[in-house]
Amino acid sequence: MFQVITRSTPVIRLLAPRGAVLVEAVRGRKTRTDPKAKSKEGRIKTPPPVDPVEMVVLRERFTEYDLIMRALRLEFKEEMLRKRYEEEVGSLAEERAKQEAEEHRSLMTWNQEENLRMLKIRELRVQKEVEAAEVKKTEAAILREQAMESFVKEKGEEIMRIQEEAKSFINLENLDQRIEEALDNPKNYNFAIDKDGRVVKRTVLQCRLLQT
Amino acid sequence: MVHLSSFLLKTYHGGHIVIRLAMAGHKQSNRPFYRIVAAYNKRARDSKYIEQLGSYDPLPNIYNEKLVSINSGRIKYWMGCGAHSTKPVAKLLGLAGFFPLHPMTVTETEFHRALAELAEEAAPEDGVKQQQL
Repeated sequence: MFQVITRSTPVIRLLAPRGAVLVEAVRGRKTRTDPKAKSKEGRIKTPPPVDPVEMVVLRERFTEYDLIMRALRLEFKEEMLRKRYEEEVGSLAEERAKQEAEEHRSLMTWNQEENLRMLKIRELRVQKEVEAAEVKKTEAAILREQAMESFVKEKGEEIMRIQEEAKSFINLENLDQRIEEALDNPKNYNFAIDKDGRVVKRTVLQCRLLQT
Repeated sequence: MVHLSSFLLKTYHGGHIVIRLAMAGHKQSNRPFYRIVAAYNKRARDSKYIEQLGSYDPLPNIYNEKLVSINSGRIKYWMGCGAHSTKPVAKLLGLAGFFPLHPMTVTETEFHRALAELAEEAAPEDGVKQQQL
């Protein structure tokens, strides 16, 4: 039903005790048109009575309290700012920065030395690899040449063989001659072979015939 | 699960930081326990806070003490950054000596003392009356 007013303009409240909250009426459960409750029809709202002596005493106590609190807050703020300043710009901070810079430099030099060492090792390794590769290459070339030579030789021998065979080929001139030769000499490919490799040229029929 | 975003990602428009009491867990028990916490004003009472600055146990222990812990350094930092404090926290810290005593504590103690004196005056009068009778 009541709502606290924040952000209102500063109003000098003479009779209100210090530390009170400004409150305004706000529509809660009932709408504008709802009738007032029967028990509340003749009610006249009065604020609670204020004891002037008590109010004066409380007022002065609260002003004192607020003053001390404000002073404390400013002191705390100053202390915090001073601490922060010390952290960032103070003497200790400078020493720390110097130490860190020195450490950084030493680490960088160490890193440089390490790099040089690794470089040397790497160079040696690379050199060895290059030499090994060269050796491999030469060996491969030799092998290739050998293979080529043997290939060429084989092909030459084959050519010779074929040339020799070509002498016994059938040409147009030999055709009639060879036909007559073939007809004159009938060849019999009818033979059997044993497990031991012995060739048997006579058929079963021939054997039977010979037997009887 | 690893959260890659920052812990308090939400940005607030016109909000401020408060130092207040937040109820710590244990929802189903009749045993309240508060944490003194720095949190954004708009956040719920028990939800994510920025930093815990202490604790307050409202129930007295076997030696009839209510234990309170305060991280004074961090409270100074947050007050310096512009944090407000709520009434109960201000009262607690006033009693602890970190802040000045809150006026309402003084007023309430005076009130209680006046009541106690009245009761004392009433009690011996009754006793005297009874003796007279």
